[in-house]
Amino acid sequence: MTSESNPMGGFCRLYSVLLYAYPPEFRRQYGRLMEQLLRDRCRDLARRSGVLTLLRFAGQVIADWLRTTVRERTAVWSAGRKLGKRSSVTEWAGTFLIYLFATATLVQAYVIPTPSMEGNLLIGDHILVDRMVFADPGPLGRHILPYRDVERGDIVVFLYPEDVRETYVKRIIGLPGDRIRLENGRVVRNGRRLVEPYTQHTAVQPDPYRDNFPLAPEASTTPRGRDMFQHHVRSGEVVVPPGMLFALGDNRENSADSRYWGFVPRENVLGKPLLVYWSYDAPTADLQEWTLDHVVDVAQHFFTRTRWKRSFLVPRSQPAEEVGGAR
Amino acid sequence: MAKHQSPPELLPLTPPVFHILLALAEEERHGYGIMQDVARQTDGALQLGPGTLYGCLKRMLAAGLVEESEERPDPALDDERRRYYRMTALGKRLVRAEAKRLAGAVTVAMARLAGESA
Repeated sequence: MTSESNPMGGFCRLYSVLLYAYPPEFRRQYGRLMEQLLRDRCRDLARRSGVLTLLRFAGQVIADWLRTTVRERTAVWSAGRKLGKRSSVTEWAGTFLIYLFATATLVQAYVIPTPSMEGNLLIGDHILVDRMVFADPGPLGRHILPYRDVERGDIVVFLYPEDVRETYVKRIIGLPGDRIRLENGRVVRNGRRLVEPYTQHTAVQPDPYRDNFPLAPEASTTPRGRDMFQHHVRSGEVVVPPGMLFALGDNRENSADSRYWGFVPRENVLGKPLLVYWSYDAPTADLQEWTLDHVVDVAQHFFTRTRWKRSFLVPRSQPAEEVGGAR
Repeated sequence: MAKHQSPPELLPLTPPVFHILLALAEEERHGYGIMQDVARQTDGALQLGPGTLYGCLKRMLAAGLVEESEERPDPALDDERRRYYRMTALGKRLVRAEAKRLAGAVTVAMARLAGESA
């Protein structure tokens, strides 16, 4: 890979994601070649042109992407119609959503399937994820694009380390070097007790593993979680290793988080939630996939089950207040 | 698109298709090579984006105007393997027919516009 020497590396990465707006078959056949072409062109341009030329080129590529995704989608659609197949509403809806939201900055749509962030994000919240903010755009892009590193209190969207096909949303509690433990369900970080106004406590039953972390691995601890217990616990506290993050759900008693499956590698972080564009009250299973039943359900209950008040809500990063007292 | 269309049905060629065929007239090239050559042919007026280029190539492959050659690295770039394309006999016939058609159109245009020039 030569992306290190390429100041347009960030743009090339963005393009790889934009390719998802093409029909799957087209992407499979030509996606890799298109990425390669873009890399070649960016490298040549960067060698002998200024920032303005690069930006104009980026604009041309985006325009080309807009035109040709429509063309390729239409080609697939009309070919399907000739064969008597019905067009796939989902396919078009997917492209449409990418258009609506991916053109300005790189964002990704994502739906909350679990109550682990309840209080801030509900099951059925369809959110847009800002994927640029934590992605280092390279030496050139850093001046143009908004970029910062992950901080404590950030809500982040990341690939679940035990299975990267799944995407999780949690709040960052610990950065590398932080010492973390829980006492009766309250976090103690680097010896200071946290006051976390964003959390929700709903438990009736106490659970020593969950509330007084870290004790010892239990049945629900995953292999990565066990590894954390084995290598990163010092005198009753978890110490976050370099390149890793410690994340907890806001719904502290009902959240599968770093307590159970260990640290989040920094490179698994995709971005942060930008806003809730649609909040729909539906069971978790329906939200994962657009089945026919779900389409019918949405068509019938769109107005009554949409939580209108949550539309365009912006989930906020919120640093916890640290108070002394604990050892 | 049907596999064997006779040349007249495919004419006139769109500018990208015409220039891509011209780029492949002398030698086989990979995608980026085609893109550079088309820019050279047109003095930079026609910059093919990745979507346009590969969308056209897809249709040209289906119509039998070009074919895929083997994948190999380009010594001028780096050792990454790239897919090469070459023109078929049908492609050659078509680009000739299109050039002729354009030449005819230019002749007519010159004759008609000569009177009202300057």
